[in-house]
Amino acid sequence: MLEIRDIDVFYGDAQALHGVSLTVDEGELVTLLGANGAGKTTTLRAVAGVRPVTRGELRFDGAPLHTIPAHRRPGMGIALVPEGRDLWPQLTVRENLELGAYSRPARARRATTLAEVYARFPVLEKRSRQLAGSMSGGEQQMVAIGRALMSRPRLLMMDEPSLGLAPVVVTAMFAAIRQLHAAGLTILLVEQNLARALEVADRGYVIETGHVALTGTADALLTDPAVRTAYLGL
Amino acid sequence: MGEFTTLAISAVLLAGFYAAMAYGLGLIYGVLRIVNLAHGGIIMAAAYLAWQLFERFRIDPFLAIPIALVVFFGVGVVIYLGLVRFIPRGPAGAVQSLLLLFGVWLIIRNAAYLLFTGNEQVIQTSYATSSVTILGGGFSVTRIAVFGVAIVALLGLHLLLTRTYLGKAIRAVAQNPDSCTLAGINVERVYLLTFGLGTALAGLAGVLASTLFAFTPSFGAGELLKSFVIIVLGGLGSIIGIALGALVLAFAEVFAVYVVPPYLTSAVGFVLLVVVLVLRPGGLFGQRVLR
Repeated sequence: MLEIRDIDVFYGDAQALHGVSLTVDEGELVTLLGANGAGKTTTLRAVAGVRPVTRGELRFDGAPLHTIPAHRRPGMGIALVPEGRDLWPQLTVRENLELGAYSRPARARRATTLAEVYARFPVLEKRSRQLAGSMSGGEQQMVAIGRALMSRPRLLMMDEPSLGLAPVVVTAMFAAIRQLHAAGLTILLVEQNLARALEVADRGYVIETGHVALTGTADALLTDPAVRTAYLGL
Repeated sequence: MGEFTTLAISAVLLAGFYAAMAYGLGLIYGVLRIVNLAHGGIIMAAAYLAWQLFERFRIDPFLAIPIALVVFFGVGVVIYLGLVRFIPRGPAGAVQSLLLLFGVWLIIRNAAYLLFTGNEQVIQTSYATSSVTILGGGFSVTRIAVFGVAIVALLGLHLLLTRTYLGKAIRAVAQNPDSCTLAGINVERVYLLTFGLGTALAGLAGVLASTLFAFTPSFGAGELLKSFVIIVLGGLGSIIGIALGALVLAFAEVFAVYVVPPYLTSAVGFVLLVVVLVLRPGGLFGQRVLR
């Protein structure tokens, strides 16, 4: 479904990605792992279109993606839950969700999708009139995921959804991710919590200083000696 | 007591006009983080448009409002596409945007001198001298009509911002443009429409002003500064903030007649501005975000 072929991305003069390639197939849950600053966020932002790609190719359903402006990509079924959630704090929970369905195809089915999101995260319906900025971290993360789901994505990208959350909330978050995957959604997940991410994922890529260092099935990565010493501290 | 009531009503009527006048500036600043120094020039140009429509075609200024809204929305779109679009967003573009839009103001003003000379103009409608009595005080029909139009405009704007997809997108862009792109909102288009809308509101304020005051091509400078005072007083938070800021300024100006000579009343707002900036830099009512 998603193909990233040999892309370079720069921040000014600093090169963040050096020829990164990866694929995500329909229905898969793929995770990107690696240290801070390795290029995981940059990869997701390049797919979302908010980071320009200077070399290489992005393809979605086989068609070139890098020529399509960022604001059109949600309408094609690509959604990103950004790191740090990036909600609109002074809008209500409901307004945050409604704006998630801004693209034309999603707008037409807004009421149905909203009911689905409320069914998945009942707390959001209870808090629908509350300002998003006044919610707890875990609830804000649910709003952020809910907002992305409102665009009826086919590929959902999540950037560190467990960041800064209490352990019990992290468990709930991964349960939600597992459910979304079980419902057939294709997911590209960036996580620092490597053990947890590999538990839910089908496959993974380890990114180091802007390169793909290692790739394999989640089970293979979990038992890989290099991964265990470098990232799991075993 | 009678005089107090009359002055208070006077201040409320003035505040309605002030709120409509300040909102365009506040909207553009809230969303694009740009102080539109051309705001005063647009107000003046709209006053001249109303005057021309009245002199040439006998169109009543209040009926000219829809024309002015369309014309100045278009003017805003042209200024945005031709100039403002190229300014970097954020602090990097702050000085450039001030100089650029100040330049736009000078161009508009000098064009008006060229076209209409520096002579003072007034629009003499048939009802210009009619008045009605409210609670013992006489008030001109024009001022009441201006108040009514201003309230309708503010309510309309409030509904636009809170009830429509575009309005919600405008508020979202004011709070976090990056996540708007991720949600599928064309942020550049929202900037364009917001600049057009803010300019249209300045046009509305100009038409309203043309029914209240005599004007020359230099008209608008005081209006720009007062708009700025209102935004600082009320914060950019909401219609409520702007309305409160406008009320504070109008009451201060109207009641200043008790303490300062009449020629100093327009200085009252600026004294207020300095005092507020020193004591409460976040505005009287806090809340700097458009919501």
